[in-house]
Amino acid sequence: MTPARQRALTVGLIVVGVLIVAFFGLRTLRAFREFRGHRPPPPFGRGEEQQAQTDVELIRDWMTIPFIAHTYRVPPKVLFEAVGIPHKGNEEKSLTRLNEEYFPAEDGRVLEKIKAAVLENQPPVSPNTPVPSAP
Amino acid sequence: MSDFLLTQVINYGAPFFALILFLGALGFPVGASVMVVAAGAFVQQDLLDWKLTASLGLLGVLLGDAISFGMGHYAKDWVDKRFGRTPAWKNAQDSFASRAGMAVYLTRFLITALAIPTNLIAGGSGYRFRKFMTYDAAGEATWIILYGGLGYWFGTEWELVSNFASNFGGLLLGLIVLGVGSWLGVRRTKVIETRKETEKIKVPEV
Repeated sequence: MTPARQRALTVGLIVVGVLIVAFFGLRTLRAFREFRGHRPPPPFGRGEEQQAQTDVELIRDWMTIPFIAHTYRVPPKVLFEAVGIPHKGNEEKSLTRLNEEYFPAEDGRVLEKIKAAVLENQPPVSPNTPVPSAP
Repeated sequence: MSDFLLTQVINYGAPFFALILFLGALGFPVGASVMVVAAGAFVQQDLLDWKLTASLGLLGVLLGDAISFGMGHYAKDWVDKRFGRTPAWKNAQDSFASRAGMAVYLTRFLITALAIPTNLIAGGSGYRFRKFMTYDAAGEATWIILYGGLGYWFGTEWELVSNFASNFGGLLLGLIVLGVGSWLGVRRTKVIETRKETEKIKVPEV
């Protein structure tokens, strides 16, 4: 390798390295702050002792209705009824896909309806239930 | 992409999780580390069985790594023809051979962006397959236990862990690139200084 190429490679690596460190360093710092702001919930027990999630802000578009029903301890039938769609054939579809199929003109409608239905139908909160995180 | 895959892991469970890790090990951008953290959370929620998920996942990723090692191995002839005679390639091969085990182990869970290049280099440099698989299995098991364990611990808040882990991996990669660049710079400066000293000695004093 010629000296000019060696110099270019060295400078290139240092510049790219600094850029990557700066980019991911800031992101890591931000993620770390967020990470420390949340304490992990107490370890869940098995079976009947297992606690339900209560924070509806953790519901995401990729989730399916049976998954949300399981996580938040709300009967799936209640959630399907709240959205106004049939249970059959929709169990494996994400909220995004349900929204695209049934409400293409209204972005995020299924997600909002699911959040509202979960809040209305959650089982009573026990003292050990994880507390919803601050917005 | 990641969202679609998460939905399918919920629907199809451990076999689909194993398929994602297999594709990730072949270099497809499937966000495998995110999936491992998420799988840990799904285990905590009783959606997945931890023994089946961990063992199928490990099987999938090891199979993918073996194939990418094989791709490097079969490209060896071409690489040898192209670069085999150059001293730089021989140096790189020797350097890799002396630290290969650690490189394979650490790139499985700490600097995952370098896992595929490491597999290809290991295969192409004539590194022994059995040795590669031993370090590979140890590294991938660490990855699944560490990331999956964090997902299990944080449960439904697993996205925080995943976000932190992926950014931290990027930061480490940047530090390595910066370290290699600085090392090359220092080495080059030393070579130039030595050359200057030699030239001074050669020039007769008037």
